[in-house]
Amino acid sequence: MIDFEFIEHTADVGVRVYADTSEQLFKNCAEVLFGLILDDRPKPDIEETVVVEAEDIEELLITWLNELLSLFFAYRFLPVDYDIILEEREDCKVIKSRIKGANFDPYQNKIKMEIKAATYHDLKVEKNDSGWIAEIIFDL
Amino acid sequence: MNYDGPLEQISEYKYRIPKSYKPGMRVDGIIYAGNKLLESIKKDKAPEQVANVAFLPGIVNYSLAMPDIHWGYGFPIGGVAATDPEQGGVISPGGVGYDINCGVRLVKTDLVLEDLKGKIEKIVNVLYNDVPSGIGSKGQVKVSYQEEKKLLLNGAKWAVAQGFGVKEDLEYCEEFGAIDGADPDSVSERAFERGKPQAGTLGSGNHFLEVQVIEDIFDQTAAEVFGLRIGQIAVMIHSGSRGFGYQVCDDYVKVMGKCLSKYAIKVPDRQLACAPVTSSEAKAYIGAMRAAANYAWVNRQVLMYLVRESFGKVFSKSWQSLGMDLIYDVAHNIAKFEKYIIDGKEKVLCVHRKGATRAFGPGNPELPDRYRNIGQPVIIPGDMGTASYLLVGTKKAEQETFGSTCHGAGRLKSRSEAIRTVDYEGLIKELRQKGIEVRSSGKNTIVEEAPSAYKNIDDVIEVVTQAGLSKKVCKMRPLCVVKG
Repeated sequence: MIDFEFIEHTADVGVRVYADTSEQLFKNCAEVLFGLILDDRPKPDIEETVVVEAEDIEELLITWLNELLSLFFAYRFLPVDYDIILEEREDCKVIKSRIKGANFDPYQNKIKMEIKAATYHDLKVEKNDSGWIAEIIFDL
Repeated sequence: MNYDGPLEQISEYKYRIPKSYKPGMRVDGIIYAGNKLLESIKKDKAPEQVANVAFLPGIVNYSLAMPDIHWGYGFPIGGVAATDPEQGGVISPGGVGYDINCGVRLVKTDLVLEDLKGKIEKIVNVLYNDVPSGIGSKGQVKVSYQEEKKLLLNGAKWAVAQGFGVKEDLEYCEEFGAIDGADPDSVSERAFERGKPQAGTLGSGNHFLEVQVIEDIFDQTAAEVFGLRIGQIAVMIHSGSRGFGYQVCDDYVKVMGKCLSKYAIKVPDRQLACAPVTSSEAKAYIGAMRAAANYAWVNRQVLMYLVRESFGKVFSKSWQSLGMDLIYDVAHNIAKFEKYIIDGKEKVLCVHRKGATRAFGPGNPELPDRYRNIGQPVIIPGDMGTASYLLVGTKKAEQETFGSTCHGAGRLKSRSEAIRTVDYEGLIKELRQKGIEVRSSGKNTIVEEAPSAYKNIDDVIEVVTQAGLSKKVCKMRPLCVVKG
């Protein structure tokens, strides 16, 4: 079970996600996001590599989650299992993710929620004494 | 999450957030509200977002909010902001939103309530079966990449040329169903892919089809121009640009995020990422946004075609003989370039309407001839258990709010609060007692959209009419609803 909770937001859905490491936080956020969209987790049989660069960790998280959303809604790639490396470079942060997933057509199969995007509004990505926390508002 | 900043009453229906509230605000914020609505408005972060929008470079006069304002991301839902490109004015994809040209159209019929006696269940079932709706639904419009480019350039005109309507429909759409300047080359391959299966689908969330009866008429002259009288049946369609628009917005929020440092722009929320209107990044976004707007007009045109066919099936008559003419189609998530007089000079401003409706007054050259004397029709959907309104725009709106008014009832409860507090079976029973049949592919959608999750539409309409931003023409009561 992923450690997360909902945050109240009038029009959309907010989540607060916890993890021990930054890599785990990215993975947990993706699992929470796709957990909102559907319950099914088919056996993974394809692999995608998703590499994203950003100026800071907040932008990195949102860009990466939106990349996964587009891969799902445009190319029907449902992520199931994540292998993540976060790199700190001098001028940017990079996430290299090898993602095992399955072909899943959201236009043929029933899904629970159509999420438009992860937004920057009230976004938080923080490290404290007990680990990492992200707060994200998804546009529905 | 309450707002505890300043909110000064400046007239019966106007409240100000002074620009002294936050260093960096370039103009005051103005919220249109009455006493009743003000309490709910202060309960979320929407007023804070009105103040944040006031940071946008080149913003003119005020950061405005309509009485249906609620907490969004970046802009509040119900926010209006105009910027002056000659004064470094910016365009922000967050001021348009992910569902570019989400909007509403209203179709009249010559049917009256009596004609629907015993047929409401049949109508809602046919609409539910024949109009693709719900999460991730797939549409009937199948086009090649080359054809999709034509669709994006020509909007509803393309749909009419394909047989999804008649040329008179185009006369009664904002921008006549196709905004000039769409640039398919500024649209990512991903947006094409994401949009491909969804043209002609209603979508999910707050999107809907609703069959309504005209319950009250407030302006007989305007109602006659629209061909509406008490007891008559109309259909309202609420949908947008689907995944195509979501992807365009996402692509350009990313691009504009980088513009903040490039153009030394400071905004308090990265979702307000923006670029000067004259920059290459803004020009590309404007071309892509307009393509998405045209996609949405195709979508609502195809949905109307399917609604007309469904009525034809139920009543065994052609839609023409049922008098199913389009009254009007409005966009409520869009940025437009419009002319206004500012300090005695005519200026072309970039007007962002994020959950707000254009409300041009009588005489405006953008209006079709038939409506030139009465003003632009403004279609305001309420919640599915209460009522909706047809209004007309005013000259005062053109002078005060860049020709803008409200767009709906405005959410009061979060979706999760609605799920926690509303009982599905009880809600269906309550709606049935009011004579309202609802269909949806998901129980949660119905619960999330429960009437108690929304503000009282009458309160919102009272503010915009008392403040002179619109005039009431008629009130419609729902008979059956297909929720996305």
